Amino acid sequence: MPAPFPIPQNPPKHTLFEDVQGFAIGLITTAIGLSFITQLGFITGQTAGLALVISYLSGLSFSWVFWLINVPFYILAWFRMGPEFTIKSALCVTALSLLMAYIPDWMRFETLNPLFGIVAFGILTGFGLLGVFRHKGSLGGLGVIALYAQANFGIRAGYVQIAFDAALFAVAFFLFPLDRVLYSLLGALILNAVIAFNHRQDHYIAG
Amino acid sequence: MQNEDQKAAGHSLLDDAQGYLFGTAMCAFALVMLRTLGLVTGQTAGLAILISYVTGWPFGWVFFVVNLPFYWFAYRRMGRAFVMRTFVNVALISAFAELFPTLVAFERIDPLFGAVLFGLMTGAGLLAIFRHGGSLGGIGILALYFQDATGVKAGYSQLAFDAVLFAIAAFILPLPLVLYSLVGAVVVNLVIAINHRRDRYIAM
Repeated sequence: MPAPFPIPQNPPKHTLFEDVQGFAIGLITTAIGLSFITQLGFITGQTAGLALVISYLSGLSFSWVFWLINVPFYILAWFRMGPEFTIKSALCVTALSLLMAYIPDWMRFETLNPLFGIVAFGILTGFGLLGVFRHKGSLGGLGVIALYAQANFGIRAGYVQIAFDAALFAVAFFLFPLDRVLYSLLGALILNAVIAFNHRQDHYIAG
Repeated sequence: MQNEDQKAAGHSLLDDAQGYLFGTAMCAFALVMLRTLGLVTGQTAGLAILISYVTGWPFGWVFFVVNLPFYWFAYRRMGRAFVMRTFVNVALISAFAELFPTLVAFERIDPLFGAVLFGLMTGAGLLAIFRHGGSLGGIGILALYFQDATGVKAGYSQLAFDAVLFAIAAFILPLPLVLYSLVGAVVVNLVIAINHRRDRYIAM
């Protein structure tokens, strides 16, 4: 439904301070959301999901696994997306890894209903990523590979990401109890719904 | 690049519904953390928290009842649709605030971390409610009314209300808790001041 006024031709830019607070809110909220599912033993999609699966199986901390998994993606990102994007991604990934390492010292749940936890994860992490994206940040990872595949092999980036998540959840079905995988699927759906509903260049226009 | 012909898209009913659900759930969850820590905040939510601390009555109900008188002012000044949206948002927060503690409990929260997190989450929640044309009613409406009647700026009367609330809290709560509460209130207001901009988020 079109609103009665036009989108300005030169969308306003975020100042550095605005970007920093956007990243701070986005990353803290993303990390809180992830803390809900690490406590419950659930997974999610994308590189964070892969890192969760590896950390559950190996006993290594999520923070280190997530940080290390992202390193190879920076090399591709540097050539395809440029230094600014790569540095921003590396900073966001590092900040998220640090937050995930420290949050258990600051906050622990005594009881956590699994349905509540997974819904809270989807909403909080969806919102957090929205903040990161609206300020032109990224958590690097798979998106870059997907864009590369789209440019070089003609496979649409969205399909590459869905295929990755499908493979990840298929593996999870064999490794983890069914209820944990189903809860995890629900969380991934909510997360993507939050982003699909709200990540719109025609609603939020600042660049 | 956008061109002049493009229009800002409006919110559909579903857009608004998910905005309100997100906003009220965020605010209610933040309030659960706040009460776990024994902190307070400003505005009607702060008044409701103080009353619930002193009397032991459940916060959700107190918040719901405290807001009732304000609907009359809201109706007179802002019209029926606004009152309906406000009522829905207040009712959702009241219900969530009673429901959530049955689903999640904290073993520990660092008070400074909790206060900052309360501020970020409440700021985000209120931002979503405001961007979708909703409100939590309360003191803000009364302050606008007061401004019309006396010329005292609405911002000042809201500030005065919060000052009185925190002054009372200072007598009831230990000093560190009052200071942590102030941190939380400052973060809420910063998040809203920085992000609530009609020139950035333009959907109606």
